Amino acid sequence: MLRRKKPDTSPTEQEFNFRTHAWQQFRKNKPALWSLRVMILLVVIALLAPVLANEKPLYMKYGGETFWPAFTSAKNYTVTDPKTGQTSSLELELADWKRMDMESVVWAPIVWSPGRTDEANMRYVGPGDPQRFIDAKGDTLFMPGRFKHFLGTNSLGEDVAAGLIHGARVSLTIGLLSMSIAALLGLLLGSLAGYFGNERLRTTRARLWLTVFGVFPAWFYAFSVRSFALRDALNESGSSFLVQLVLSLVLFAGVIMAFNYLGKWLGRGAFFGKIVNVPVDAYISRFIEILNSTPTLILILSVSALAKEPSIIYVLVIIGLTSWTGIARFTRAEFLKIRNMDYIKAAEAMGFKEGRIMLRHALINGMAPSLVSIAFGIASAIIAESSLSFLGIGIPPDIVTWGKMLSQGQAHYQSWWLVVFPGIAIFITVTVYNLIGDGLRDAFDPKLKR
Amino acid sequence: MLKYIFRRILVFIPTLFIISLLAFVISVNAPGDPVNALFSGSEGGGNNNNGQNERVEREKAALRHRLGLDLPLFYVTVSSLASPDTLYKVFDRAEYASLDRLINRYGNWNEISVWSKSVKALRKAVRAVPLPDTSTVSLTEAENALTQRNTCEEIIASLQFSDDPVQISSRLDELKKLTAGGFWTTAFRNSLGESATAFERMRGNTTVWKTYVPTLNFYGNNQYHRWIFGDGHWLTGKGAVDTEGIIRGDFGISYGTKQSVTRTIKRAVPWSVLMTLLSVILAYLISIPVGVYAAAHKDSLFDRFSSVLLFMLYSMPSFFMGTLLLLLFANPEMFDLFPANGVKPVEGYPEGAGFFEKFRISLPYLILPLITYTYSSLAFLSRQMRVSTLEIVHQDFIRTARAKGLSERAVIWKHGVRNALLPIVTVFSNIFPAAIGGSVVLEVLFGIPGMGREIFDAIRTQDYPMIVSVFTLSGFMTLVGYLVADILYAVVDPRITYSSK
Repeated sequence: MLRRKKPDTSPTEQEFNFRTHAWQQFRKNKPALWSLRVMILLVVIALLAPVLANEKPLYMKYGGETFWPAFTSAKNYTVTDPKTGQTSSLELELADWKRMDMESVVWAPIVWSPGRTDEANMRYVGPGDPQRFIDAKGDTLFMPGRFKHFLGTNSLGEDVAAGLIHGARVSLTIGLLSMSIAALLGLLLGSLAGYFGNERLRTTRARLWLTVFGVFPAWFYAFSVRSFALRDALNESGSSFLVQLVLSLVLFAGVIMAFNYLGKWLGRGAFFGKIVNVPVDAYISRFIEILNSTPTLILILSVSALAKEPSIIYVLVIIGLTSWTGIARFTRAEFLKIRNMDYIKAAEAMGFKEGRIMLRHALINGMAPSLVSIAFGIASAIIAESSLSFLGIGIPPDIVTWGKMLSQGQAHYQSWWLVVFPGIAIFITVTVYNLIGDGLRDAFDPKLKR
Repeated sequence: MLKYIFRRILVFIPTLFIISLLAFVISVNAPGDPVNALFSGSEGGGNNNNGQNERVEREKAALRHRLGLDLPLFYVTVSSLASPDTLYKVFDRAEYASLDRLINRYGNWNEISVWSKSVKALRKAVRAVPLPDTSTVSLTEAENALTQRNTCEEIIASLQFSDDPVQISSRLDELKKLTAGGFWTTAFRNSLGESATAFERMRGNTTVWKTYVPTLNFYGNNQYHRWIFGDGHWLTGKGAVDTEGIIRGDFGISYGTKQSVTRTIKRAVPWSVLMTLLSVILAYLISIPVGVYAAAHKDSLFDRFSSVLLFMLYSMPSFFMGTLLLLLFANPEMFDLFPANGVKPVEGYPEGAGFFEKFRISLPYLILPLITYTYSSLAFLSRQMRVSTLEIVHQDFIRTARAKGLSERAVIWKHGVRNALLPIVTVFSNIFPAAIGGSVVLEVLFGIPGMGREIFDAIRTQDYPMIVSVFTLSGFMTLVGYLVADILYAVVDPRITYSSK
């Protein structure tokens, strides 16, 4: 995709394609293009993290047998010691790989796992400091180059480089997943507001009121009656809770639908059948205003304080639920423009259903500008996550993140490597997404070019 | 204009309502019992000390009443036909939960309440059973009697929180067997019999269908109402005894310090306001000239250099910047120029120091935090200033001004800048929420005793009154910021009017 052949330089009026044009514009923006490449590199690093930094060998030959410790889901191996010939069980999580006498072995580029203590190099060993290694006989040696901590360790002897590589996973997961939630919500609400505006959604009085009223019984049957089922499932396991939650949500939607149909059936009389406007745009815009007035960081902090155990899921869901407003505003503006275009009129004239027009015609064309918002959103989600883990709130203690590493450095100023490396990692990631956002904005809206 | 402001303020009301509701939901779902968090009386004490236990219970009930926890939650609650509309009066969270489960299972409140009362009576009765005296029986026998009674007490306690019929009936049987002979009094056996019949009746006459019929309950006096308006008259606040409500600035009692939250906020806000104001002023002083100059000399070396630098600053998370500054300038191994923590010397200010004297003493403490506070809005502002000035420079009235023969400097600064002030206003409106919420990350990093620090501590100690207060206040201040921004937009740019709307 990156090296695609340049399309013909000047497309004629008929051949003009918005997306090709935007891509061409984007490619002209060198910083943005480079950012895209760095972003892809970061994603690859995050995906390959277990191969790039792992204390288990990728491949090893031991006692005449070959193993792939880094790629297996097994908990232990039965191995034969080559010297004594005794068979024993090798616990993968506990094994002392670096001191084993293997016939041949392929290590990961960084031979340390994140969050794993190296007793020989505790208490902040810098990248330039002498590092120690205790060999199979128990003698202390200077660290052979192979097992060096390239970027130093923290107070517990955890390898900084391994933490950086695995921290990329956390940052990108939170950034991408929370923005997926935000994009879903933002596109949905933004397109509803933009497409229907304040006048277009008309329905009978009975249908409107019954649908609104339906929220009460829907809430009652989906959550109040089932509250014990939900609570028991939550105590049991996450997956069974998810099943129960989905069941509740389906029930919720079902009851509202039922009331909606009841309203359709009832809306025939003179009074109940009166056609009324639903000012969708006004409601959604007000909702956006409310959400913008809530202090997000404090909301995340309070909700993660509510949760019994900290979890990344809470953090990314709250970030997602609170940061869709920008996307919605972009989509709304685009839809306001699109809904008066000829092809929408044509689709309406052909009698397509509104849902289909919105999804198949308007949304496909109106989605592009919200990409700008998504790119900036990923940057700020990554900042939000790292601020939280810097504060030590909301992120479980056993997960290594960039922000957490930086806060360890803050506690101990002599160890500059704990501040500089994670900080640069955060900075690069955020910059990359901001530059991509900038590039997209220029590409989609040349007027805003700066 | 006035009309617009008035309408804007009216629109605030639903927004504020939803923010307060959100805050209320957070505080209601907060883990732990507020009464236990606040209760300062001696905990523990022996189980046998009935007198003291009762005193503690009484004090806790009084505290519960003072906090308004004996009220229903909200104006409207949706519940099932099976549950009584006075269930909220059960204080004990565990007891409430078990009653709720029983209602969900059997749906017959009358029988359930009889059963629950009978278990409570049984608990009293087991304590009233006299132990055999050591003068009449041997020591081991007396000890056996005591263990037997304790076992019975434990079984009865577990009955109180159980909703499983199989378990309950097996436990009742066990009790019957245990208390068949020996020192057990007939009074206790009668109570036990009553409990057994109550249980059978509860299990026999079920009305489960009732749990599927929703009902709406309305309560005029409830916890939310009390939290907002206090326990006096809702408008005038007359007759308020325990709380005047957040509408009159009473945010309740902090779990941590056991003092009024309002007092803590009053102590912390000045520091946040000081930091925010100083940093915004600084940002204005630097960013406006930089942005305008860059726009006036577009594509010059200065323009390009400042653009790149400011973009990098913009992408830099503030806690990274702050830590870097501390690492460089407050580090004995690098440059030990500034203190690393706090806002004033450890021994405090000298006696009788005036405001300016205090400020001078505090200044070295404030420099690093101020840089960190400032740089991000600085970057944003200069970028925005540059863009809006660039747009202005191409407009007709600037060309006219140039044509009049005004100097380039006069054209840009007198005619251009005034029209490019809109982003400045946007940043200005952010002052309001920032002043009340502070910056959690930076205040923690630099040890500034402002609101951000306060809320961080509140979250660590699960001090929900504090969390909820800050949440509500900063939501409110954001709205105020929006309003001020709207008014200032019209002041700055005469083309923006709200009257025609």
